[in-house]
Amino acid sequence: MSDSILQLDAVVGGYGKMTILNGTTTSIRRGRITTVIGPNGAGKSTMFKAIFGLLPLRSGRILFEGRDVTGHTPRMMLDAGVCYVPQGRNIFPELSVRHNLELGAVALKDQSGLPDRVAAMLKGFPILAEKADSQASTLSGGQQKLLEVARGLLLDPKLILIDEPSIGLSPLMVQEVFGILKALRGKGVTILLIEQNAKQALQMSDYGLVLELGQTRIEDTAANIRADPRIAQLFLGGGLQPIR
Amino acid sequence: MAEILQLVIAGLATGAIYALAAIGFTLLWQTSQTINFAQGEFVMLPAFFALVAMNWLGGPFWLSCLVAILVSILLLGMVFKLIVVDPMLKQGVLPLVISTIALGLLLREGAKDFYSAEAQPFPYIFPDRQISVLGVQLSLSQIGVLLIALAVIAALQLFLSRTRTGRQMQATAQNPTVARILGVPVERMIMYTFIINAALAAMASLLISPIYLAKFSNGEHLGLAAFVAAIVGGFNQVRGAIAGGLLVGVIDNLAAAYVSTGYRQSVPLILLVLFILFRPQGLLGRREERAV
Ligand SMILES: Nc1ncnc2c1ncn2[C@@H]1O[C@H](COP(=O)(O)OP(=O)(O)OP(=O)(O)O)[C@@H](O)[C@H]1O
Ligand SMILES: [Mg+2]
Repeated sequence: MSDSILQLDAVVGGYGKMTILNGTTTSIRRGRITTVIGPNGAGKSTMFKAIFGLLPLRSGRILFEGRDVTGHTPRMMLDAGVCYVPQGRNIFPELSVRHNLELGAVALKDQSGLPDRVAAMLKGFPILAEKADSQASTLSGGQQKLLEVARGLLLDPKLILIDEPSIGLSPLMVQEVFGILKALRGKGVTILLIEQNAKQALQMSDYGLVLELGQTRIEDTAANIRADPRIAQLFLGGGLQPIR
Repeated sequence: MAEILQLVIAGLATGAIYALAAIGFTLLWQTSQTINFAQGEFVMLPAFFALVAMNWLGGPFWLSCLVAILVSILLLGMVFKLIVVDPMLKQGVLPLVISTIALGLLLREGAKDFYSAEAQPFPYIFPDRQISVLGVQLSLSQIGVLLIALAVIAALQLFLSRTRTGRQMQATAQNPTVARILGVPVERMIMYTFIINAALAAMASLLISPIYLAKFSNGEHLGLAAFVAAIVGGFNQVRGAIAGGLLVGVIDNLAAAYVSTGYRQSVPLILLVLFILFRPQGLLGRREERAV
């Protein structure tokens, strides 16, 4: 069994008067892939924002590697070893691919190592290397997602928060992104993933977390969650992703 | 032919000055959703800072210009952001817009009451002489103005594209949320854009005041020209603001010569209407597209 790298302890937060996270409590295992599933509006993305310091908590605590990181800014979370790849398109369209990548290392203390890091990262992503000096807007949707992932990896994070990376990607590209996540797990990186494509995501995950109305409904191994009839009915077969 | 060339050069010179103001306008909009309706007054005022330093405090011209730029950076850049923009933006974009309109009025009346209601002569940076190039008479000071303005724009472009800080500013402009997620000190980058805007406005002021004379009411036309240049350029790109500024400057000079000086003021407005009708994304602009 692996130990816990991230804990949420009765986290309450939301937007304005609206409460979205309703005492969310969970514990994420180190070096594993955990997939968060739940209906639309359950607060999955909001949970990531709260972890990464983009949403002030009304109460509760967040612990990363045993340290209290409640109220940390995004910059402090980066320094602690967490990166966040939000939902949607998050590149800087008018900067080159290389400069987009470089911006992933703004928080790097010693900037002298930057060119080497960028070069090494480009080696790992040949598609990006090919287009390194083109404007990022010329990349396809899938390539842009790869760029975001590569950019997030530039600081060698211990934990990656990645929100619906497969949206809008071709099945081949989804395979590619999931492959990268599995490879990262192989290197000991912890991955917390939100996916609509729950069936496929749970297949490669170690653990699953079901969120509903801002609360943890089920926390279990991915295999058990896949086998759970409630889940199949609620989320896996619930219209969006019919079981074939 | 020679006359047209002269008019175009003169137009490019004023256009490059409009471009300076329009670039600042665009940068503020991009990084902080600030539409600064006092931008014209920001270009009017620095000349008065220089006049005060020169005529009241007895400083030499070059030092007065430097003082004007520094005071502008402090007041029209930093103080403007901290005292007007930050508190107002919390209330929304509309209160901020109204505040900048009020600030514009305040600066205009302030310059009138504090200094003078009369147009003030302002020294030329370059000698006001004609030179003959291939038989065409060109104004040395206009060419000088054009060159300085273009050099400032080129320096800014180099800064934005070649330095890490410049690219962090671009990132902040293109997607502030993502910039923050990557650890870019977004607040500091926004402050830099206010400082750059003030410095650009001060440069524009020092370059245009010899031509238009320094007058408290200059902001009206300058603000409109900069606003139209920014819209014509697409409002979301520095390159667009440059092109827009030059275009407005040239058309406005040609119209003054061939149609009537009386219509000069309305040229930017006509251009504005045409662009809004036929090319709302501007010359080089692309449609806004943002995630998160
Ligand atoms: N910036 C915001 N301001 C106000 N309300 C928001 C904001 N972002 C999200 N919400 C609301 O908060 C609720 C939870 O949103 P959240 O994005 O966390 O859901 P989610 O579980 O990620 O759903 P989805 O599967 O659709 O991505 C939704 O009702 C949403 O409308
Ligand atoms: Mg979401």
